[in-house]
Amino acid sequence: MRQLVRWMLVAAAAGALITFPYWSAPWASRFATTVVRDALILAIFALSLDLLVGRAGMPSLGHAAFFGAGAYAAGIASQRLATDQLPVTLGAAALVAALLALVIGVLVVRSEGIFFLMLTLALAQIVFAIAFQWTAVTGGSNGLAGIGRPMLGGLDFSAPDSIYVLVAITFVLVALAIWGLTQAPYGRALIGVRENERRMRALGYDTARLRLSAFVLAGTIAGIAGALSAYSTRFVSAQDAGLGSSVRAFVTVLVGGAGTLGGPMVGSALVSLIERIVPSLLPTELRISNAILGLVFIGFVLFARQGMVGLGRFAWLRLRRR
Amino acid sequence: MIEVHDLRRAFGGVLALDGVTLTLREGERRAVIGPNGAGKTTLINVLAGEIPSTGGAVRLGGHDITRLRSWQRARLGLARVYQRTELFSPLSSRENVALAIASRRGPYRVFGAPARSEQAEADTLLERVGLAGREGMTVHALSHGERRQLELAVALAQRPRVLLLDEPTAGMSPLETARITELVASLERSLTILIVEHDMDVVFRLADRVTVLHEGRVIADGTAEEVRGDVRVHDVYLGKAVTVA
Repeated sequence: MRQLVRWMLVAAAAGALITFPYWSAPWASRFATTVVRDALILAIFALSLDLLVGRAGMPSLGHAAFFGAGAYAAGIASQRLATDQLPVTLGAAALVAALLALVIGVLVVRSEGIFFLMLTLALAQIVFAIAFQWTAVTGGSNGLAGIGRPMLGGLDFSAPDSIYVLVAITFVLVALAIWGLTQAPYGRALIGVRENERRMRALGYDTARLRLSAFVLAGTIAGIAGALSAYSTRFVSAQDAGLGSSVRAFVTVLVGGAGTLGGPMVGSALVSLIERIVPSLLPTELRISNAILGLVFIGFVLFARQGMVGLGRFAWLRLRRR
Repeated sequence: MIEVHDLRRAFGGVLALDGVTLTLREGERRAVIGPNGAGKTTLINVLAGEIPSTGGAVRLGGHDITRLRSWQRARLGLARVYQRTELFSPLSSRENVALAIASRRGPYRVFGAPARSEQAEADTLLERVGLAGREGMTVHALSHGERRQLELAVALAQRPRVLLLDEPTAGMSPLETARITELVASLERSLTILIVEHDMDVVFRLADRVTVLHEGRVIADGTAEEVRGDVRVHDVYLGKAVTVA
C-alpha cells in the first residue's frame, strides 16, 4: 500500500515535470521553461557522473568528453546524414559516447583516486583539443551551429515546449533506470568496489570489468545528455567537452550529494539557480556566477560533505527527534 | 585439493617464502604456525592470488592456478578470511553476505532487487555464525568479535572448496575465540581448511596436521602430536611461546 502511494507520488511528480511548460504558461515566462530544460540536461549529465563518483568511487574529471562527444555526434549525424530522426541522431550520440568511454575506460579503470582523476582529466583534454582543432568536422572554435531539432517518425520536437518535453521524459527515464540499477545486484556490486575493491576481488568479482562497465554506462548517458543539449540550443561548442563542463558536473554532484539519486538533481537545480537566476537579482558589477558557484562549492566541501541531500537528512533527523 | 610446490616470494632482497612445498588433501584441516615474520600471511596472500609469487607453482583441485588473479581463484572455490577485518562498512551484515552470494551468479543483473532466495540464504548463514538478530546492522555497529564472525559468514557464502583463514581469532576475547573455534570445527568435513594461527589451543583443536614455517621455509610437517614433539619446533616457536606464557 505504501509502495503504491509512493509510486503514485513519483508518477504525479514526473507528470507535473513533463507538462511544466503547459501549466506554467499563465504565470511564468518562456525563460522559465528554458532554465528548467537546461537544468534537467545538467541533471541527466550529473546523474551519469554520480554513477562513477558516488556509486563506484571513481572521481572522474573528464566526464564532459562524453557529453561533448554525444553533442557532436548528434549534430554531425543530423547534418551529414540530412536526417532529424531521433533514433538516428540520439543513437549516434549514445554509440559514439559509449565507444569513446570504452577506449578511455580501458586506459583508466585500473588506476584509482588521484591518478584516476588526473588520467580522466588528461584524456578528456585530448578530446577537447580534437574538438577544438578539427575544424572540418567539428567547426573548431566556431562550434557546430544550426543543428536541427529532432523528429520521432511524424512527431515534431521543433517547438520550444516540445523539445522541453523530450528532455523531461528522458530525464525521468534516466532517473528511473539509475534508481533501478542501484537497487539491483549491479548497484550493490559497484558500492562494494567503492568500499573495498580488494575484498570484492577475493569474493570472485572481476572488478576491473565492473569498473569499465560503469564507466561505459555513465559515458553513454552523458552522451545522451549532450545530444539533448545540442537539440535544445541548436549549437555545440568545444567548451561543452572542455574542463569547465567537467568541473561543473562534478560540482553539481558534490553540492547535491554524491551517491544519492536526489543529490545530482537538487545539485543541478542549485547550480542552475546560481547561474541563471541569481545574477539577474544582483547589481551588474556583482554578476559573477562562477565566483558565487565557487564559494558555494567551497562551503559544501568544508561544512557539508554529504551535500544538500545530506543536509536535508540531517535536518529531518533533528526534527524527528524533537 | 591444494598442492603447493617450491613456492617463492621475494620482497626486495628478503625471501618471505623460500621454496614452500605442501599438499592438502580434500577435507584436510591444516594449521600453519611459525614465529612473526615466518611468511605465514605471505603464504596466504600468495595462495589467494593477491600477491604474485616469484617462483614455484600452486594447484587447486588439479588445476594450475599459479598465474590466475585473485578473483579467478575465488571463482574456482578459494575463499579467505583476512587477519584485519575487510568488509563493506556502510552496508548491513545481510548486504555484506549477499554480495558474496551474488558473486556466484555474477554482478551484471541490472533490474530488480536481489532475489529473495539470496536474502534468505544470507540470513541462514548469519544465523549459523551466531549473528542472528544482527542482519540489519551496519558493520560500523558491530563489535570486533562480531565482525570476525561476519567475515566467516561472507567467506562461507562463496561456497568455497578451500577456506584460507588468517588468524581468525586475532584480537578476540577468550570467549569469542572459543566460539569461532567451535564454529570452524563444525564446518562440513568436505571443506579443505588452511589456518594460520598463533593460539596453540585453537591449532590443536582444529588441525589434522600442522606445518611449521620459519624464515620462509617449512621446517616441520606432521600431525599435531608429531609437531609438538619436534625439537626444532620447540627451538623456533613453541619454546618461545612457553617462556612467554
